[in-house]
Amino acid sequence: MLITTFETDFWKDERNRKSWDDIIPGQARKTLPYILTLEAIQKYCKVVGDTHPLYFDEAYAKTTPYKGIIAPPAIHILLMFSCTPADDWMRSPGTINAGQSWSYNIPARPNDVIRLEARALDKFIKKDRLFVIHDNVFFNQNNEVICSGRGWTIRPQ
Amino acid sequence: MNQALEKLQVGEKIQGISFLPTRESIREFCEASLDFNPLHLDDNYMKTQFGKTQFDGIIMHGMNNFGVISKMITDWVYPQGGMHRRLETRWKSPVKPGDTITPSAIITAIKTTQKGHWVSLDIAVNNQRNEIIAVGEALVEFPIAS
Repeated sequence: MLITTFETDFWKDERNRKSWDDIIPGQARKTLPYILTLEAIQKYCKVVGDTHPLYFDEAYAKTTPYKGIIAPPAIHILLMFSCTPADDWMRSPGTINAGQSWSYNIPARPNDVIRLEARALDKFIKKDRLFVIHDNVFFNQNNEVICSGRGWTIRPQ
Repeated sequence: MNQALEKLQVGEKIQGISFLPTRESIREFCEASLDFNPLHLDDNYMKTQFGKTQFDGIIMHGMNNFGVISKMITDWVYPQGGMHRRLETRWKSPVKPGDTITPSAIITAIKTTQKGHWVSLDIAVNNQRNEIIAVGEALVEFPIAS
């Protein structure tokens, strides 16, 4: 079943989320399939000031090697929250993004059905702060890798 | 190798377009990214105990910064037939409403493999006080026509 609504109150499910102590490196996170719409792609593009015609103009995009509108590489920013449930620990209020590393294979496209494989990879304490490293791979409906990446987050204490 | 690629040199700088976050743009980024972390919505949130980290008001999403950097890279490679292949970032300082952030990149290496020409870049993002607020590395590919 595909998710069509999104809980924007990140406090609501806070008690159901794993704390730093509960997160087990190597353990998979629950994920959800997500249909990436043209509207969602363009909404993201507009807020980061990216109005490249590859993302907005089908006639132009057809003349390029991509043969149609694509999503920008950094669309994983949206996909991370689209493809995880409300009790995912990435939503814990106070989660601080310390760094990211992403590799891009093929572009996501409008109406792709996106699947995420994700897990905590490592956790450690540095300068009195609680860190977790998560790794993630996004696939399309043909099981082709769109992108893969890791993030370093500081967990709320 | 195409003409544009032949002209690339280690040390060449790529200048991105500045981004001016506002409270409104941060709220819009919440909506577009679905990241509604109160760090980006609630000025008072961090006044309660939060380890050693205090930002004194809401901050822009780090991933908004990531998107601004990624845009600089695609703006540079798309016209030359290249592809944005990798981006790694580390956030050095928070970005607040009213700041102006500007990404830039410097070519650090150019390597040709069996199927492509690969360009490595060092990334920096500066604010209006010329402070570095993010650093990173990127990799772009210019495929060799088969």
